[in-house]
Amino acid sequence: MALVDIRILTVEDDDGIRTAVKLALEDEGWEVVEADNGEDALALFTKTPTDVVLIDIMLPGIDGFEVCRSVRKNSDVPIVMVTARADTHDVVAGLEAGADDYLTKPFAPKELSARIRALLRRVRPSDSGSHLVFGDLEIIADEGVVRKGGEEVHLTKTEFRLLVELATTPGRVYSREVLLERVWEYGYFGDGRLVDVHIRRLRTKIESDAANPQHVVTVRGLGYKLQT
Amino acid sequence: MMFRRLGLGARISLAFALGGLVLSAFLAFATQGLTREVLLRQRENAALDLVLNNAQLVQSQLTEETDPAELINIVGALQTSSSRPLMEVDNVWQGDGSGEFTQEDVPLRLLDRVSSDGAGVLRTQLDSEMVIIFGVPLPEDSATYYEAASLAETESNLGTLQIILFGAALATTVLAALLGRYASSRMLRPLRDVSEAAEAIAGGRLDTRLDQQVAPELASLASSFNDMAGALETRIEKDARFASEVSHELRSPLMTLAASMEVLENNRPQMPERAVTAVDLMSSDISRFQTLVQDLLEISRFDAGSAALQLEPVAIAEFVRQTIKFSEQDIPVEIPPKAEELVIDADKRRLAQVMSNLIENARKYGGGATLIAVSPIGRRVRIAVGDDGAGVPVAERSVIFDRFSRGSAGGRRGADTGVGLGLSLVDEHVRLHDGQVWVTDRPDQDHGAWFVVELPISLDHLREEADSL
Repeated sequence: MALVDIRILTVEDDDGIRTAVKLALEDEGWEVVEADNGEDALALFTKTPTDVVLIDIMLPGIDGFEVCRSVRKNSDVPIVMVTARADTHDVVAGLEAGADDYLTKPFAPKELSARIRALLRRVRPSDSGSHLVFGDLEIIADEGVVRKGGEEVHLTKTEFRLLVELATTPGRVYSREVLLERVWEYGYFGDGRLVDVHIRRLRTKIESDAANPQHVVTVRGLGYKLQT
Repeated sequence: MMFRRLGLGARISLAFALGGLVLSAFLAFATQGLTREVLLRQRENAALDLVLNNAQLVQSQLTEETDPAELINIVGALQTSSSRPLMEVDNVWQGDGSGEFTQEDVPLRLLDRVSSDGAGVLRTQLDSEMVIIFGVPLPEDSATYYEAASLAETESNLGTLQIILFGAALATTVLAALLGRYASSRMLRPLRDVSEAAEAIAGGRLDTRLDQQVAPELASLASSFNDMAGALETRIEKDARFASEVSHELRSPLMTLAASMEVLENNRPQMPERAVTAVDLMSSDISRFQTLVQDLLEISRFDAGSAALQLEPVAIAEFVRQTIKFSEQDIPVEIPPKAEELVIDADKRRLAQVMSNLIENARKYGGGATLIAVSPIGRRVRIAVGDDGAGVPVAERSVIFDRFSRGSAGGRRGADTGVGLGLSLVDEHVRLHDGQVWVTDRPDQDHGAWFVVELPISLDHLREEADSL
């Protein structure tokens, strides 16, 4: 797959890591712009068109969560977050701040490029070409548009992919593992919290009452389904 | 020796009981002795008045002409239920006619005393009955009046007193034993608290402390104990923090190394052969290093007590199949039909590490995993990994789960051996899930190791199963 003219913004305060990651990503044929703090990163982001953002949570000055939220406020660019460990609230907090995926340090650059590729594939509109209506919810898959009560709802690429996936067979229960594989391209051992947090984010956008969802419902112990 | 083998509490109660027994026995004997003397004297005085009266009466009736027939009437009239009269007149002895009290019954000592001192009293036995024998000489008639007064009533009173005293002594002993038990339990309570606290600390609850004590001896014990526990906690925390900080600090340079290594590997085709060999060496050691640091970080989280479980329902059969698929090895799997639907509450990431470490362990030391078997055992499920190696000697079976222990099989430090953290991580992860892991012989043949992980089945799952019955 040719992914030409892809520009990646990396925010990392450790010079060694930042440079080595830049070299490895450049070997993949991608252009890399770097920042060693949050303020510079946000300034760079507004100036330069960017396809993927890689943010380390631990930053001097404004932290990674804040950078993540600021980027997400104005853009649906894919964000990969780097955390110190997997079993803390950091992961959930990062995902809730708007990250699409996460890696824990130390990670192999190969793993990072695999994640980036998966995110970039998600960016391309789905070719299912369908126009689906569920009550007040309208999904026009090939245009990447979702309307709720006639109003367009702004979804990130990941949220959109997740919704379209659930909508391919409405009423079918999708396990977290299946969704992880189809949307994030993770295998069985992916982190289920990716699905849970994204479902939560999706609900705040497409449900009238996120605490009492009518469209994307939880099937306890099994997974999620789109109510017909 | 027996006494020494008893517990401190039992010894204290026993000492109290013994003390109570001795004291009450002494009191009982003293009471008995004194009371006896007092009662006998009282009886003696009462009897003496009566005897003197009787003697006077006899004397007034006695004349020169009194013949034996008259004498028997005079003496017989003085007989009562508790006294037996006896007369000696000119060496002629006359009883009251009942024959119970005769010349032979008068002890010689009394006869001596009467003839020398004039009058005498003596306690003695008469027909197995305690009596007091009085002898009153009547010199005008050259006669002596004797009377045996029964002590039966006094004796029976004394007997009753003895029973009462015995009962009191027994009650005192029992009471003393109970008091001893109460005292010892009060006294040993702080000791028990200390032992419980020490056990809690040994069990890993390092923040356990003793309550402040009011009694000065105990207060110093409690405060020394708490100081020791505090020092221990600080020390252990410092060690854990040190390990954690070292691992944290290692991560950044390690990441730079790993990323740079990847860049080098991307450029292999342009490198001379010697450089390629060097890059390969570095690459393999960097990945070992990376595993080591990751394992150390994981372990330091266990030590710091900050390891948190991300529990989710996991279908165990599917999980095991996916584990094998992920290992990229062709390992046979044995899952009985009744285990297909089993669900456990597990942290998938940790459980995946458990499985991959066991499979990796089998590959390194056991010639590769030969079978993975799932079997439900009551409310728990066992996942066993068997291999084709030499097995684990009995002496090493618990040691191999210790940190940096590789057993005799892992003694060689080859390029492919681990650092010995894999199995200890397995142990920590499994214990965090309330489970157990152990190694034993393969059940089907005489060689090969059999690592068994036992985990509790999800309560929700058990409940659903019960509902569907």
